[in-house]
Amino acid sequence: MKKNINIKQCNAKLIKYEMLNILGNPFADFFGVVFPIMMLFIITEAMKSEIPAGGYAEACTAVFISLSMIIPMAILLLGYAATYAQELEKEIPLRMILFGYPESAAMLAKVIAQAIVVTAALLVYGVIGGIGLELSTPTVGAVIGLMLCQYLLGVIFFGIAHGVSSLFRKFGPTYAVMMTLYFGMMILCGMMGIKAEDLPKFLQVISNLLPMSHIGNDYIDVWMGRSYNFVPMLQAFLFLGAVAGIVMVMAGYKNRRTRG
Amino acid sequence: MLLAINHLQVQYGKQTALDIEENITIESGDRIGIIGSNGAGKTTLVKSILGLTNYKGSIQTELKKEEIGVHMQYNNYANTMPVKNIMETLLNTSIKKNGKLQELIYFFEFEPCLKKRYSSLSGGQKQRFTIIMVMMQNAPLTFYDEVTSGLDFETRQKLMEKLLEWYQGKENALCIVSHYYDELELLADKVLILDQGKVIAFGNKEILFEKYCGHAVITIDNSEKNDMLTKQFSHLLSPGHLIALSCRDVAEEEKIIRVLLEQDVNFKRSNHDIEIMYINAKALYYGGECVDSHFVQDTVKEGRNEEKYKYKAV
Repeated sequence: MKKNINIKQCNAKLIKYEMLNILGNPFADFFGVVFPIMMLFIITEAMKSEIPAGGYAEACTAVFISLSMIIPMAILLLGYAATYAQELEKEIPLRMILFGYPESAAMLAKVIAQAIVVTAALLVYGVIGGIGLELSTPTVGAVIGLMLCQYLLGVIFFGIAHGVSSLFRKFGPTYAVMMTLYFGMMILCGMMGIKAEDLPKFLQVISNLLPMSHIGNDYIDVWMGRSYNFVPMLQAFLFLGAVAGIVMVMAGYKNRRTRG
Repeated sequence: MLLAINHLQVQYGKQTALDIEENITIESGDRIGIIGSNGAGKTTLVKSILGLTNYKGSIQTELKKEEIGVHMQYNNYANTMPVKNIMETLLNTSIKKNGKLQELIYFFEFEPCLKKRYSSLSGGQKQRFTIIMVMMQNAPLTFYDEVTSGLDFETRQKLMEKLLEWYQGKENALCIVSHYYDELELLADKVLILDQGKVIAFGNKEILFEKYCGHAVITIDNSEKNDMLTKQFSHLLSPGHLIALSCRDVAEEEKIIRVLLEQDVNFKRSNHDIEIMYINAKALYYGGECVDSHFVQDTVKEGRNEEKYKYKAV
């Protein structure tokens, strides 16, 4: 019998499927799109009375930069981990393979879909923030730099989320770990209203290891065209990237298969 | 040859889930019924073939995982979108443009379900959803693992008819795991009997039937009167409510039927009763005797089609 080669590649339908998968997760929609915009307006409104009028635009911009990181955190770190852990628990990736989508094609579609959704969410956030708030005008380089930081963070969060969900292969423990990481990182990086310098010393050390702290606290200098030392931020990116790499390797080792 | 299994062993911890010493080959066009009680190793065998579980031994095939169609016992899909999107993605097609797919959707009356999410589908709708997609895959080798479990009788019948019709004259090999003997009688031309991970029997349905049951089997209700009436004939092991009589040839068959007709006893005659064959193959494997012996049966019901038989030759 003539064999029916049924292997499929990453295609537009698969990317659309993955996008629906992301948008069909209400937690990712809320925490990734609604929550950062909501927080942006609540925090900037609360600051109004405390900050002199001359410094208000810069303060709003600092909050805008800081809260923008919630988007990749919520969509990738939290949303992707939750969705993928559920998929693994239900053996959906296996069904994809059995219907002819190799793991690489499915993974590529996931990456593309996540990138599209994160970009769209950042655009919505940027447009609403830009229209609704009095933001300082950035240099082109600063905007490009911030976008690069967001995508770099996105890659790292994707790695952590993929690794953790592959390690547990269950929704419950994965979601618990990712929620802890999500809120922990938000607190440590000053996104919940507590400044890093107000944290206890040992938490400040951890905070400095996270690139979100550097972006949230210092990127305003780049935005405003002031001089900025990128080395600590790069070191933090390397550290978090290494963490993501280690988690991925651990997951790969745990899920290795030996065959007779 | 599509696939050949040689000395396959699967361990789950200290438990041996599968220990196949025989060579099993699957050829194009085969319709293999895989039968066995819970824990017999049926699903483990499917998983081994797909490379989803670690095993010792060899499974030789040129087929890639994507070239094997599988309806698993439990099938799950994303719950974040309507099943229409899942179907179109997995099959990489558009329902609007695919006449064959439209035909299947229509036949299985699945149209009203297309906009629903997978979790909103009933058990039968969930089964039909996967069946439609597996059928569309048109794989050289397809496994249907307990495809009709949980479905009502009418849906089961319709489903089997459609499967039969769909694969009629096609070269696709099918392996059908089922607890329902009537399904296997309808679909299978070869039978693989598994029990506690071991192969009890594998081969052509007719040859196995002849080996374990004889030329034909006549079944009557199990009553004291019927038991007395048929004492002179060869009894086979059978479900508790039946007496199964083995007919070695046409002459013996006629003799039995004559007696039953004279006594006005209702009977059923079969030359492919898989249930009786399964029970007797198992008994023979574990050291009992089958044809030409008269067995006293003590059946303990343990749920659907799963019965334990205590027996002794008299």
